Amino acid sequence: MIKILRVAFQEYRRHVFNKRFLLGLLSVPLIVLVWVGLFFLIVSMENNTTPLGYVDRSGLLADPLPAPDPEPPFGPVPMMAFADEAAARSALEAGEIQGYYVLPADYLSTGKVGLVYREPVKGPARQQFYDFLTVNLLREADPAVAARLLEGGEITTVSADGSRSASTKDRFNVLLPMIAGLAFMIVMFTTGGYLMQAVVEEKENRTMEVVITSVSPDQFMAGKIIGDLAIGLTQIALWGLFIVLTVLVGRNYAEFLRGIQVSSQAILLLGVVMLPAIVMVAALMAAIGATVTEAREGQQVTGIIAMPVWIPYMLMALFIENPNSPIAVVLSLFPLTAPLTLFIRVGLTIIPAWQIAVSAIVQVAAAIAAIWLAGRIFRLGMLRYGQRLKWREIFVKN
Amino acid sequence: MKKILLVLKNEIVTLISRPSFWLAALGLPLVGALVFALAGWLNRDAAAAQTVSQVVAGPQTARAEGYVDLSGIVREVPASVPPGTFVAYPSEEAARAALEAGEISAFYIVAADYIQTGAITYVRPDFNPLSASSDQSGMFNWVVEVNLAGGDMLFASLVNGPLDVQVTSLAPAAPQFEEDSPLGFLVPYIVTLLFYMLIISSASLLLGSISKEKENRVMEVLLTSVTPRQLLTGKILGLGIVGLAQTVIWLGMGYTLMNLSGRTFDLAVNIGLPASFLAWGLVFFLLGYAVYASLMAGLGALAPNLREATQATFVVMLPLMIPLFFSSSVFAEDPHGPIATTLSIFPLTSPVAMMARLASGGVTWWQPWLAVLLLAGTAVLIVRAVAGMFRAQALLAGQGFSVKGYFKALVGK
Repeated sequence: MIKILRVAFQEYRRHVFNKRFLLGLLSVPLIVLVWVGLFFLIVSMENNTTPLGYVDRSGLLADPLPAPDPEPPFGPVPMMAFADEAAARSALEAGEIQGYYVLPADYLSTGKVGLVYREPVKGPARQQFYDFLTVNLLREADPAVAARLLEGGEITTVSADGSRSASTKDRFNVLLPMIAGLAFMIVMFTTGGYLMQAVVEEKENRTMEVVITSVSPDQFMAGKIIGDLAIGLTQIALWGLFIVLTVLVGRNYAEFLRGIQVSSQAILLLGVVMLPAIVMVAALMAAIGATVTEAREGQQVTGIIAMPVWIPYMLMALFIENPNSPIAVVLSLFPLTAPLTLFIRVGLTIIPAWQIAVSAIVQVAAAIAAIWLAGRIFRLGMLRYGQRLKWREIFVKN
Repeated sequence: MKKILLVLKNEIVTLISRPSFWLAALGLPLVGALVFALAGWLNRDAAAAQTVSQVVAGPQTARAEGYVDLSGIVREVPASVPPGTFVAYPSEEAARAALEAGEISAFYIVAADYIQTGAITYVRPDFNPLSASSDQSGMFNWVVEVNLAGGDMLFASLVNGPLDVQVTSLAPAAPQFEEDSPLGFLVPYIVTLLFYMLIISSASLLLGSISKEKENRVMEVLLTSVTPRQLLTGKILGLGIVGLAQTVIWLGMGYTLMNLSGRTFDLAVNIGLPASFLAWGLVFFLLGYAVYASLMAGLGALAPNLREATQATFVVMLPLMIPLFFSSSVFAEDPHGPIATTLSIFPLTSPVAMMARLASGGVTWWQPWLAVLLLAGTAVLIVRAVAGMFRAQALLAGQGFSVKGYFKALVGK
């Protein structure tokens, strides 16, 4: 037992107290920050507050009410009236306005308008002009009704038993499980990658021969798996801390962070599906490490495992549209594709209990099988150089 | 000169005799062709299309939805909504019973204080929060709005803005794609991705070839009969030729597929990339390849083995990734704005960024020339710097790789 712990501790220390691990750890928050920055950059590019002109022949805007203020972060675009198109066009050419709308006399019966610009008028500015039109269209109506028409309704989706509800404003609840699923995927592959690297490297530089003189193969393998799982959990814990902190701080500034709900199903999935999946991938990677003779070869073989795991990610659009389609259900039950599929679906629908149960049983069985396979392959292949292990040898009893 | 040719020939022969090369060169377009053929077949064969859609979307359930109006706003469902889409129920219990009996797939509850709060509750057994933005929910929202606006459909539509906007652009060069056309977004995106992949994949070939020979000590034998510079030149040229051949295969297959797809889908696929685009593509690929392949060769010369070299490629490839980050937003939305223009002229990002801009059309004539000039200058400088790094001493040493050491060697210290 002491030897297992010693191997585990050595493995943990070697990777965690390392510059590269720290960089990998920081890279995720950094990428998030870059994306947020890009988002604001794009928003600010859309934010053009040069006035918009209009030529009104319909009489709708003869004595206009001002446009309502836009939602932040967009700035208000002033609306300028022009008597005729010639005046508007010369203002456009002088750069005083970013474009102008022409409302024909029969606007109220046809709904047709003309728009003239040099550079396309962006969405936010167009929306402000439409709001301006709407406010004036509704000036005769009851103010409460007018305000409601301007703002539109807000649909809150509720499950039939009332256990979950989501308003159109809480989009983040759909995204959260997906993000968590992706984070776990990354951890799954870093953990597995470390394990494979550990086995291959020690085989390649012949350290294995020395280590095996004082530790039994089972102890060696168990220690490595425990050590690498601990690394993965460290990573998850630190990222989780980062996310929780962001949400707690961001709550004061961003409204969409306030409606966060974590469904109990998602937490259940973490335990019964994600954990066995991580163990399974780690064991498979270790098995690959023991069969191949060089690190490079190992990386190529890893692709075979990585592919099915990422399939749900590529089918994300399909799942979002129909979270309970047959293809989604099948992929939820297959060991390698299940974790990501289930995590995408859990934000979108209530997954039937039998699917979770079957998936969990399959997942645990697959993990046990993978460990058995890894142990066997490791014993056969750990000291073999220059020659790959053949599949036949693995399954034939000897 | 003869020795350069020897190295060149050897590189080409070893590469094209590898099955993985042919797999990438032919397999990728083949997969594309298969997908196209499958999609075309599904488009024609209705029965097959239905089977696939059942697997992907699940069996079609009753599309009718119910509603319970507690506010008294909804007096009638407008004539434009297909009859039977929405069924009225007097109370939530009645709607729930109908839901359980399978008569409706979901129902809405319009709150009594709808005018003040705008609240509509959407009860759905499968709870899909995104369905609240589906077409049918949008239609229900519209039904409520029409009724709120006094039943006048035109008026209710005008509340959401004009029905038809006729756009006139006074800009000198008309945009090549119509606004909102998916191609206007897709073509620059695909071009960006394609050039990124081409440059990276051919540059990584060089990295692999150098660090492998270094790792298995073939380098030591080679250097007894070839000078480092001859080796580098031969390798860059040889792998460049192979990369170019791969580009030609991909582009040719892509072009054929595009033509075929026009027939299969009955779409007016008229991308109409000008002939000059191909010429620029060739120039930017060659120069971009020269820059990045040399940088990769420098990595290969310094890193002790392939694993460390691959880990360090990120440092070198970072500038080329920047346009990719922007590809979906900046290059599609505003291909001639300040960010896109800067990226397309700056030498390290221009091979990808300029191609994306050229694909969306309307680039001022002098900008590609300036970009090519700057890129060519950079290529000359980098090739010379890397040739300096390619010394026997560096090639034979087994030191660990450090980013600092790499940049130091690049500036010649």
